[in-house]
Amino acid sequence: MLFLAFRQLISRRRQTILTLAGIILGTVAFIVISGMMLGFREFIIDQLVNNDSHLHITAKEKFITDDTLSTFFFPQAQHVYWDSPPTTRKDNPAITYPTGWYQRLSKDPRVKAYSPLLKTQIILTRHGKSIAGQLTGVDPIRQQRVTSIAKYIKQGQFSDIGSGGNRIIVGQALLEKLGAHLTERIWISNGRSEPIPFKIVGVFETGVKAIDATTVYGSLSDAQRMNQTLGQINEIGVKFNHLDDAKKASDDWQNISDEKVQSWDQVNASFFNVFKIQDAVRYMMVAAILVVSGFGIYNILNMVVTQKRKEIAILRSIGYEAIDVILLFFIQGVVLGILGGVIGVAIGYGLCLYLATLSYGGSPSSTGTGLLMVSFDVTIYIRAFTLSFFASVLASILPAQAAGRMTPIDVIRSES
Amino acid sequence: MSILLHEVNKSFPNPPTQVLTNISCEIKLGEFVSLVGRSGSGKSTLLYIMSSLDKATSGSVKIGGEEISSFTQKKLHQFRNEHMGFVFQFHYLLPELSAEENILMPARKNGLHHQKREYAHYLLEQFGIKDKINRLPKQLSGGEQQRVAIARALIMEPTYLFTDEPTGNLDTANGEIVMNIFKKLNLEKKTTIVMVTHDPDFANSATRQIYLSDGKITSQAV
Repeated sequence: MLFLAFRQLISRRRQTILTLAGIILGTVAFIVISGMMLGFREFIIDQLVNNDSHLHITAKEKFITDDTLSTFFFPQAQHVYWDSPPTTRKDNPAITYPTGWYQRLSKDPRVKAYSPLLKTQIILTRHGKSIAGQLTGVDPIRQQRVTSIAKYIKQGQFSDIGSGGNRIIVGQALLEKLGAHLTERIWISNGRSEPIPFKIVGVFETGVKAIDATTVYGSLSDAQRMNQTLGQINEIGVKFNHLDDAKKASDDWQNISDEKVQSWDQVNASFFNVFKIQDAVRYMMVAAILVVSGFGIYNILNMVVTQKRKEIAILRSIGYEAIDVILLFFIQGVVLGILGGVIGVAIGYGLCLYLATLSYGGSPSSTGTGLLMVSFDVTIYIRAFTLSFFASVLASILPAQAAGRMTPIDVIRSES
Repeated sequence: MSILLHEVNKSFPNPPTQVLTNISCEIKLGEFVSLVGRSGSGKSTLLYIMSSLDKATSGSVKIGGEEISSFTQKKLHQFRNEHMGFVFQFHYLLPELSAEENILMPARKNGLHHQKREYAHYLLEQFGIKDKINRLPKQLSGGEQQRVAIARALIMEPTYLFTDEPTGNLDTANGEIVMNIFKKLNLEKKTTIVMVTHDPDFANSATRQIYLSDGKITSQAV
């Protein structure tokens, strides 16, 4: 039947090409959409994994309730009632026992490096213009071991922060908003204290607007002094030898401390929810395309079966069984699926190669090249081929079965 | 291996129509029988029932003493492939295959197409269309297409050849060519031929004529 199936495909060239075009379109669409979506995803994950700590240990925010104050002010009173119960957040949450954490982290063989941090909200002022931001106090040497922030320094060096002396490194977007420049001094306050002058010794640009427009790096001691929380930290960033260890360590350490312990994927859970939605959208789009091309195959094969009634009748009368006739049309669906899948994969790959050379107008520092981010993950191509192949095979089952049900006498009677 | 029909009836439910009524006859091996009658007399239906393409509503159809209805589907297809040839009013050639490939289709079912190629060439030569061997059906005339269809029916050297109005679509000259092929086949190869026709001249070419009217055999002539 293979021989006849091929002959029929070749003889009705136009229908075959149209059917193939539908399958190819579906395959290419899947590859391009997936390539771009996954390319973007890989970039984001790369940013999340490599530019930040694998695990964050952060001080838990504590809230003041009526019990908190009643116990403090009226420890002996049995019947104290509040007309308006106090509800607020405790200021300056801090890690309770940092030394304990340092000891634990130093001894854990999974840990590559760790960096104590103090993150605090600040107001930056220059010539009367004020902008809100976040000061991250760090030990520059430790911070560079934990994150790849040094890679994004555009002017100066990350180590220029030093261990004190009111020196800061500012995000490029924040610098532009302030209208400031390198070596200039700007005033920083946490809102409760008097503004203190800090000298801009460097500029960084990660490509993530939310970071570049708000973040300022300074030394840990300067941040503690400005925040009036000497000796306190509110976060520890941890880098692991193996990325997978972060989740396990998060589960282990969550139960042994008051602090919030979150691995990189837990911190960025919202990103992963977006990825899930992206996946759903991607599969729905491709399903729609494949359903359309599947219906195309179904319609064309159905039409062919109707056109070939006489030939089916003669095949049956010269000894071919129903299964042979089913195979005749099923093989055509399979061949179209394989051919369309292979051509689609080749065109999809070529298109992705081309797209990867296009500039998307973003900053080169963000992606390293400023070009469109396209994934060439082999699983995309395997999935694209498998989906288009099965769509073609499924679409050819019904027409093939209809052909197999035809008896020679029914066709001959209807023809005479 | 004669074909024996006993009390064969055929009716259709919608609308209720009795096509054949108590048909009993025997087609002996090597016979050339023509089924003659007016349009709607049931001759084609009788041909299809005795050739296993259709089933009788009641009665018995035996080939070589064996009831056809007792054949499994597989055996029935194999029997058709090896022992029966069919020629219809319309040639039913596969349009995407050449004359030679069309002729070899029954042999291809059993993987015998390579062995049968020489015989296909012989048949085409006998039918005077050897030079059209590689032509597609659409490149052949009506008479040539019908001769290719006959060659296809004969490629497995069948015991029986069933033909339904084989000259119905041909002009007189081509009709005579086809009839001569049948006569020669019956004479030389002793192939049993059952032919449906409404043309009295062609019917008389057969060694026996069975006349049908309103689904009943009215007379037989030798």
